[in-house]
Amino acid sequence: MTTTYIGFDLGTTNSAAASFDGDTVTVMRSSQGEALTPSIVRLSSSGGVLVGQRARRYLETDPANTHTGFKRLMGTGTSIAFPAAGVTRTPEELSAEVLRLLCDGVEQQCGFRPTRAIVTVPALFEIPQNAATVEAARLAGLEQVELLQEPVASALAAGWTATDARGSWLVYDMGGGTFDVSLLESRHGLLRVVGHDGDNFLGGRDIDRAIVDWVVERQAAAGGPTLDRSNPDHEPAFRCLSLAAEEAKIELSRSETAVIANAWPIDIDGESLEIELEFDRKTLDALTLPMVDRSMDVVTRLLHDSGLRAEQIGRVVLVGGPTLMPVLRKRLAERLGAPIDDSMDPMTMVARGAALYAATAGLAASGGDAPRRGSAPDSATGDTSVTNAGCHFFLHYPPVTADLTPHVVGRLVDSDVSTARPTEVRLVRTDGGTEGEYAPLDEEGAFVASVQLEPHKANTFRLEARDSRGDSLTCEPSRITLVHGVTIGDPPLSRTVGVALANGGVREYFARGTPLPSRRTFVHRTVSSVSPVAAVGSVSGSALRIPLVQGEYASADLCRLVGAIEVDAKDLSGPLPADSTVEVTLELDRGGHLSASAFVSALSQTFKSVAHLMVPAATPEVLRSHHAELAGRLVSLREEAFRTGRRDSLKGLSALQARLDTVARDVEAAKGGDVDAAQRSRRVLLEVDSSVGELEDEQRWPEIEDDAVWTAAWASSQVASHGSPAEQKLLEQAIRSLEAARQAKSVTRLKRQQAVVQRLGSAAAQRDDSTWEHYFHNAAAESNEASDLPRASKLVAEGHQALESRDHKRLRTVVRELWGLLPRASSEPRKTHGSSVR
Amino acid sequence: MSDRDALTDNPFFVLGLDPDCHPMEVERAGNTLAGLLELGVKRGASYTTPLGAFERTSEGIRQAAAELNDPNERLFYELWATVAPSDARIVRSAGPSTSWWSNG
Repeated sequence: MTTTYIGFDLGTTNSAAASFDGDTVTVMRSSQGEALTPSIVRLSSSGGVLVGQRARRYLETDPANTHTGFKRLMGTGTSIAFPAAGVTRTPEELSAEVLRLLCDGVEQQCGFRPTRAIVTVPALFEIPQNAATVEAARLAGLEQVELLQEPVASALAAGWTATDARGSWLVYDMGGGTFDVSLLESRHGLLRVVGHDGDNFLGGRDIDRAIVDWVVERQAAAGGPTLDRSNPDHEPAFRCLSLAAEEAKIELSRSETAVIANAWPIDIDGESLEIELEFDRKTLDALTLPMVDRSMDVVTRLLHDSGLRAEQIGRVVLVGGPTLMPVLRKRLAERLGAPIDDSMDPMTMVARGAALYAATAGLAASGGDAPRRGSAPDSATGDTSVTNAGCHFFLHYPPVTADLTPHVVGRLVDSDVSTARPTEVRLVRTDGGTEGEYAPLDEEGAFVASVQLEPHKANTFRLEARDSRGDSLTCEPSRITLVHGVTIGDPPLSRTVGVALANGGVREYFARGTPLPSRRTFVHRTVSSVSPVAAVGSVSGSALRIPLVQGEYASADLCRLVGAIEVDAKDLSGPLPADSTVEVTLELDRGGHLSASAFVSALSQTFKSVAHLMVPAATPEVLRSHHAELAGRLVSLREEAFRTGRRDSLKGLSALQARLDTVARDVEAAKGGDVDAAQRSRRVLLEVDSSVGELEDEQRWPEIEDDAVWTAAWASSQVASHGSPAEQKLLEQAIRSLEAARQAKSVTRLKRQQAVVQRLGSAAAQRDDSTWEHYFHNAAAESNEASDLPRASKLVAEGHQALESRDHKRLRTVVRELWGLLPRASSEPRKTHGSSVR
Repeated sequence: MSDRDALTDNPFFVLGLDPDCHPMEVERAGNTLAGLLELGVKRGASYTTPLGAFERTSEGIRQAAAELNDPNERLFYELWATVAPSDARIVRSAGPSTSWWSNG
């Protein structure tokens, strides 16, 4: 039996599946006969489920019970109502229905139902969204699933067939609901993701939305009923119009004019509305260009961050339905100038890449026919002729590799007592090619054998062993297959992951770009005492909260809360004093699925549950309040810019104001029940918040610059007096970087470098006893604010004794313990996501 | 990253490769070492550096391969691996880190 690998592209608008058998990638047809399955689910009054093309025709006639676009709500905890059946479903459950249909198609064509597969996600999906995707796969019956970032999948699919795949590539992936752009580099058949960026709320649906807004305006101008997105009663009408808009948009990719018409009358406040509007490509282009330009801003940002210019891009790969639009292609060509590769179907490229990646990851579609990479005895190509194997080996090899001479690693598991022990093995091509050399088994029964692959094909080898007398022995497994082709390195993490601290900062665990999977452990300390008794009757049961955040910001409140380890007081086996150590371990799998645990050493207890693994809720009230606060801060910034004559910053302020104006419409739509708009506005408001913060810092530039210069001078003096030669060298480098940031007037970079310089200075200063005397006096002065006053008083007394006896070792311990009790370690709960660790 | 880390976690030492190795050797070493580690073979268990021997982990191997695939990162580590005290290379050539691929 041939090993088959399956990949699923779970899209916002359409989904697809593909298989790879070591030679050929095949796009699977669904059980409804289509290569593309619309990501649409309908539940009838009897509870019957229709998915895909069959559900699509009900989008217009029964929009209340037919849903699409739920991918954009994955991980938000949203309940999607099906009033006819009187039930609600989560986005994960609806995605599972789509995956189930795709699995049906695989089963019909491959003859087995897949239990293991790759499912793709947008590169910028947050951890809760990834977790929701894994859950959807589990609900669909997949026992083992790995996630893969969509642009990586696209690049792999494009690279697999490319004849000249050297240099830098840009994968521009505009899907129905998300936009991803990735920069890849290809060398010697190895693909590497240099960087990626994107917008989780930009896609073909936004173009449809712009068309619908245009229709609504035209309709109102013609004296028709007014459609209002903030009115929940109008929501079905908007969904019906979105469908008509999408159809017209697709038609205009091939023709110059189209008609936007609703197939069925829409009921607006008791009035029937029939729409039939002429729509031409020129109008569509005008409506689309702002979205395309928004995507190009992301592309420009990625190129800038990666230190590349547009002309250095050798190839642009387009993925997703909207990339078929002529205006988008024209704009991309104008802005990038690189050749556009349209040799592959942009609609199925992600699924193809996912299937290829399943092979690279050794994730065969059904159990028993192939191993996970290096973890089991192999029977990859299923030679069933061997029934009484003499030697049984565990093997490890790359199922797909760009290396023409890879190694196969093996270890003898056991040997039939009736046969002699093997002393050497070799791998021989089954197609009659060159025979490999025998590799000896070492004292542990292990060997490393090199094999020669023929390029761009599946290469099957027979495993042969012989004993010390030269007699041949039968082997299990008898054959293995290695495929030569493009491979991709471990996918990098798209956003930094860390723990929010009680002082409002963030402890970074995995920096953006960390190759996945990865695992890291850090020790934190609690900032207040917790007692299981004290918690009885407490409103909030959470005694210890370790918030997990995602984002590149130093302030916890600007990062997204993506989960939390929460320990209920009643679960603690004993009291936990302030300053207790908590060892936190975070683990991310290849697709960005997070698991976490916290070990409280004082109690010898480990807590593993990650609570609230969801994208935070976005209520209209909170969104409106955040919007108003940002609008106020922008007004202050504008006034300050005029007052100080800094007109150069006005352009940036105008751009932010424009984003705020745009998001105001989404906030209104959120009020009308549009949860998608609510999530989008939450994200945009956070981004604007961060940008406003940067502009506020820029206005404080002279002060920030002075502070940085002072820090550099202080650190130089400390390192010169107490630092090692290596620290001096590092400080010189850090000060050079700080100076470069100062010249560039980059607040973010300057602050980052200042933190490095500060750390080096502190490390050196802390070797000086007088520093600790200074620390002690400061901490003692604040001891009346300690969370545990009796303990703090005792520590202060101990500290004074240590000072008198010149016992600086003891003094250091006292100071560290005092710090743990002082309130300066905690900031406002809102800014810390309620963190109880530092 | 400290001077110490640049030596103890240097991906060339982790993968047992020379600073002038071909990118494909990085791929091959990563795969092979991961295999030795997963199969519990002793010769893949540790690597030597100028500062002594360290335990190999599958995460360290992946991290090292990713670092050497990034040309900028590779340059940094090439420097450190090249300027490492000459006895480090003696240790490496005599120790298990360069012999993971050879049999027997």
